[in-house]
Amino acid sequence: MMRALRPRVADGLGAAAPFVFALAIGAVVLFAAGFEPLSVYRLMIEEGFGGERRIAATLTASTPLLLTGLAAAIAFRSGVFNVGAEGCFYLGGLTAAVIGFSAPSWPSALVLGAGLGAAALIGGLWLLGPGLLRARLGVDEVVTTLMLNFIAVGITSWLVNGPLLARGSANSATPAIALNATLPRLLPPTTLHLGFAISLALVIAYGVWGRFTVGGFRSRLVGTNPRFARAVGIEPERVLVATMVVSGAVGGLAGAIHALGLVHRFVGGFSPGYGFTGIAIALLARNSALGVIVASILFGALSSAGASIQLFSNVPIEIVQILQGAVMVFATAKLGRLWRRAG
Amino acid sequence: MISALSALALGLAILPAGAAEKPVALIIAQGGLGDQSYNDLAYSGFKKALAQDKLEGKAVESKDVVAQAADILRRASDAGFGLVVDLEYSHGDPLAAVAKDYPDTDYVILNQVKPGANVASILFQEQEGSYLAGALATLVAKDASIKGMSGKPVIGVIGGTKSVGIDKFIVGYIEGARAVDPNVEVKVAYSNNFGDPALGLQMAKAMFDGGANVVYQVAGGTGLGVIQAAKDAGKFAIGVDTDQDGVAPGAVLTSMIKRTDVAVETVMKDYAGHAFPGGKTVTLGLAQNGVGLSPMSHTKDKIPAATLAKVDDLKTKILSGEIKVWNAVDQGYPPFFK
Repeated sequence: MMRALRPRVADGLGAAAPFVFALAIGAVVLFAAGFEPLSVYRLMIEEGFGGERRIAATLTASTPLLLTGLAAAIAFRSGVFNVGAEGCFYLGGLTAAVIGFSAPSWPSALVLGAGLGAAALIGGLWLLGPGLLRARLGVDEVVTTLMLNFIAVGITSWLVNGPLLARGSANSATPAIALNATLPRLLPPTTLHLGFAISLALVIAYGVWGRFTVGGFRSRLVGTNPRFARAVGIEPERVLVATMVVSGAVGGLAGAIHALGLVHRFVGGFSPGYGFTGIAIALLARNSALGVIVASILFGALSSAGASIQLFSNVPIEIVQILQGAVMVFATAKLGRLWRRAG
Repeated sequence: MISALSALALGLAILPAGAAEKPVALIIAQGGLGDQSYNDLAYSGFKKALAQDKLEGKAVESKDVVAQAADILRRASDAGFGLVVDLEYSHGDPLAAVAKDYPDTDYVILNQVKPGANVASILFQEQEGSYLAGALATLVAKDASIKGMSGKPVIGVIGGTKSVGIDKFIVGYIEGARAVDPNVEVKVAYSNNFGDPALGLQMAKAMFDGGANVVYQVAGGTGLGVIQAAKDAGKFAIGVDTDQDGVAPGAVLTSMIKRTDVAVETVMKDYAGHAFPGGKTVTLGLAQNGVGLSPMSHTKDKIPAATLAKVDDLKTKILSGEIKVWNAVDQGYPPFFK
């Protein structure tokens, strides 16, 4: 058991390593811009993890990333390069918000279940097409899922600017969800909500599934060697379609949790690119559950600390964006080495 | 460890001994600084107020500003900021909730009214600026000596959605048009969408084809299509919110500007002078320079001086109180627009 877990721990550390490289690059940039890198980083650590409220803010910021990272990891593991979580996030968020403001008299458990379930369903159905196209006709899923993102953002943006626009609102936003549809807060007055626990549980469940179940083994086999998988009687096409649908469902769920747990409505600019950050997280994590958790929390910390350090220093938001970009570069650099080794 | 870091964070915090007031935080809306629009305008007012009122302050940007509403607001409040000005529209409800927990911190929200003894809501008297836009549009439409104008008093307006917030602009526009010509025909349409320039183009084209000379857009991104249609048709559009005259120089007659810089500057001045309008709704109109027409840098030369003087005259009358422009939000719908 311990031996089985050891490489997972290594994956967790592996997911953190690009952050260290990125911090080194960031230090050079900070120094060149006339800041003292060490004190800026100390401030960032303080703002990301210093005390209960800051930790809660970081975990809140990591919540959507846990699930978009999970959505990407599930797909990548089976060799499906699904980049469509962003679109599912938008659709799921809007679906949950609509259910959230439409049924104020329902019991809370029912409306929450309906909102989360419907969002997962929509997300899964949204990626059924790309899954089938890839399995039956060999259509590149990167292209189809990427393009579907634009369509999903377009549809939701049209709906929230038109038919679903809150009365009297001059900015694109739906009405607020009803009280019975909000996911409870875990640590009031902070924003940390039940959605974090749900997301964390799902990532852990994914880790257990991937490591200890037949289905998890199959999915990895299809990802690493589809021809061998076929030879031993697994139908890669079926695994592929199922993977795409589950990945989409997780993406939709991520949007629902964001709407019902944090934003409490659907608004224009609902996601600043959580779906794409999720891709970087899965790459960093090499699809391991522990890696997804570590990378999500680190990205969450960058996001929450990146905003609040501006209250205490003159470090602009751009430095945080440089750090995030550098992390992603190092994440893919690592992947490149893996590919060479495989080839 | 944590407490040592806290001390360091406090050391970096901006609480200089000399400053009389606690510092001010400005939360930048979606789109961020550099948008050459709403955020940049508000930020310029913020910087001006910091200098004039000898305040300390920081602006906070975040790519994730929608989701971080309560977290940023609480962090600023915990860290001893005395005033938090929030530009992000979606922060209305979180701001009202956070404000309850920090009675000693003041908060400002724009373009909406939120409750709380320490919350000031800023609204703009958009109907006053729209009134001047309607008057100018009608005078220009009737002047066949201006290139592209038919000489008939036919103008139009496209709203983003049928709501009282948008009709506030439209009612003011119609009232201004009727003030200079009771027989004016104002075509009114709603795009039901704030983000579709193609739709705006199509709707405005239909209005221009139907004889409209000038079309006012109150439709956000959809309005960019209205401006494009005016350029294509050789007619005039009127911009909204920010100075859009430069979007298509010469095709935008003027813009009805909401001066968020004045709003931020005014409220910070009140704060510095211990006169923060907590619990109140501050309405900024022509008198406070909170709304107004753009300087018309690309079109001024094409318009006869007498026309501009007439519009100025109406402005003076609004300022003196001789003309009271209909506010559809406060007064409901007027008889001339149902």
